[in-house]
Amino acid sequence: MDAAISGNLIDLCVVAMLLLSMLAMTTTRIAQLLNAFAVQSLFLAFLAFVIADSTGHTELFIMGGITFAVKVIGIPWAMRNTAMRLHAGREIDSTMGIPGSLLVSATLIIVAYLVTEPLMATVDTIARNCLAMSMSVILIGLFMMVTRRKAMAEAVGLLIMENGLFLGVMSISYGMPLVVEMGIFFDVLMVAVIVGIFALRINKAFDSIDTSVLRRLKE
Amino acid sequence: MIEFVLSAAQSVLMIALAPLFAGILKKAKARMQHRNGSSIFQPYRDVAKLLRKNETVSESSSLLFRFIPYVCFGSMVLLSLMTPFFFVDVAAPYGDLISMVYIFTLYRLMMVLGGLEGGSVFGGMGSSREMMMSVLIEPSLLLSLMALAGLTGGSTAVSDIPRELIGMGVIVLAPALVLAASSFFITLLAENSRVPFDNPSTHLELTMVHEGMLVEYSGRGLGLMDLSSMMRLMIFSSMLCTLFFPWGMALTASPFAIFVGLAAIFAKVLFVTLAIALIESYLAKYRLFRLPNLLTASFALSLMAMISLYIL
Repeated sequence: MDAAISGNLIDLCVVAMLLLSMLAMTTTRIAQLLNAFAVQSLFLAFLAFVIADSTGHTELFIMGGITFAVKVIGIPWAMRNTAMRLHAGREIDSTMGIPGSLLVSATLIIVAYLVTEPLMATVDTIARNCLAMSMSVILIGLFMMVTRRKAMAEAVGLLIMENGLFLGVMSISYGMPLVVEMGIFFDVLMVAVIVGIFALRINKAFDSIDTSVLRRLKE
Repeated sequence: MIEFVLSAAQSVLMIALAPLFAGILKKAKARMQHRNGSSIFQPYRDVAKLLRKNETVSESSSLLFRFIPYVCFGSMVLLSLMTPFFFVDVAAPYGDLISMVYIFTLYRLMMVLGGLEGGSVFGGMGSSREMMMSVLIEPSLLLSLMALAGLTGGSTAVSDIPRELIGMGVIVLAPALVLAASSFFITLLAENSRVPFDNPSTHLELTMVHEGMLVEYSGRGLGLMDLSSMMRLMIFSSMLCTLFFPWGMALTASPFAIFVGLAAIFAKVLFVTLAIALIESYLAKYRLFRLPNLLTASFALSLMAMISLYIL
């Protein structure tokens, strides 16, 4: 592939991932949120393929394939199942309004850029500009975990953070050793399963998956 | 000399075609909703008829009310002289993107004052809503144009941007361009009171914004206001088609280049018009208090376009 085109494709995928994490901040329904996450993972998998194709790091093909299987299909399917079994959780509560959280996310992007700028000069890879974007995705995922009230949405925030982490790793060192990556994928899968079970248990005990209700445990 | 004639001709063409594209938009919307719809030339007839009629002016309004249609129409004529259409040069190259944004603001200010002039409840509500939206539209509009200027080397002159973009090759995929264009499209819908923001085909609901401000006009004043709002849509669509996606525009005054430029701009503006018609058939008008969400999203998009210029 032409270097200019693959460079543009990489930029476009990364910006799409960032855009989708912003979109996830604005969603009010769990199904939309899971869709945003699935599409974001799709872009991550595609990005892995593009980088693998243009640099010859073939193990990234495997990683992209696993990302596709686990994060685009597996986890959204499992979480959608859980959401259906809970019946509730259609509406997502957030402690902050949509315009406010969008503006905070935009600020987080600027912060991420300022933090990673000195780092970017030290690495020499095809996708090194993605580092600032990956840091922004991580921060936005964290922000989502902080502001959302429902357990499901918080789990998706964690998964978005995880996507950002993969993006960062790809951008500075073309991925981790395969064993480590498999371990992380397994962890993520476990997170999805555990959150599903937890959400069910929380729902049983408190009649809601609103985590702010959990303060009753103190009594 | 030939350049100047061409750029003057393109402004006249833009003004002359504005009602046609408004008619196409209405027709496309009607066809998508399985109605027959009126002819695509109906806006010409409407405007011609209104311009022949006398005005009735509310007793409570002042002299300003009589001037407003002319100021609005004049600012739109000025803007059409400043916007490229099929040829890259413009007839009035003295302004740039920033002055264009503020001529749009002058138009809006006049319309808001006109809404308040008549002293009717509808006009007042329309004006206050328009101002609320205006506060949110302006920063995202300016920022998306700034991002575009940043992408093409920092000049905000309208003719430099298409020239630079055409010379840049595979820049089509550049994130800044895509983000700024999508942000600009959302502000296009907001600024022209299209569907998620306002319903352009209603006079009866309490939800109207743009039509609410026009309630007091009649005859020639109404004709001019209608014509200028069609021209505003036309100018916005050609800004989207020539500044963000200038491919196909005539860079020289050769007959072949002009032919290609005309064909390209017709196809692009038609595409934008059909996209608006699709959105209007597909979406319902948003609740007023949900509008800030969409406009903040547009602002975030243009901000990201700006940031991506630095990061990538």
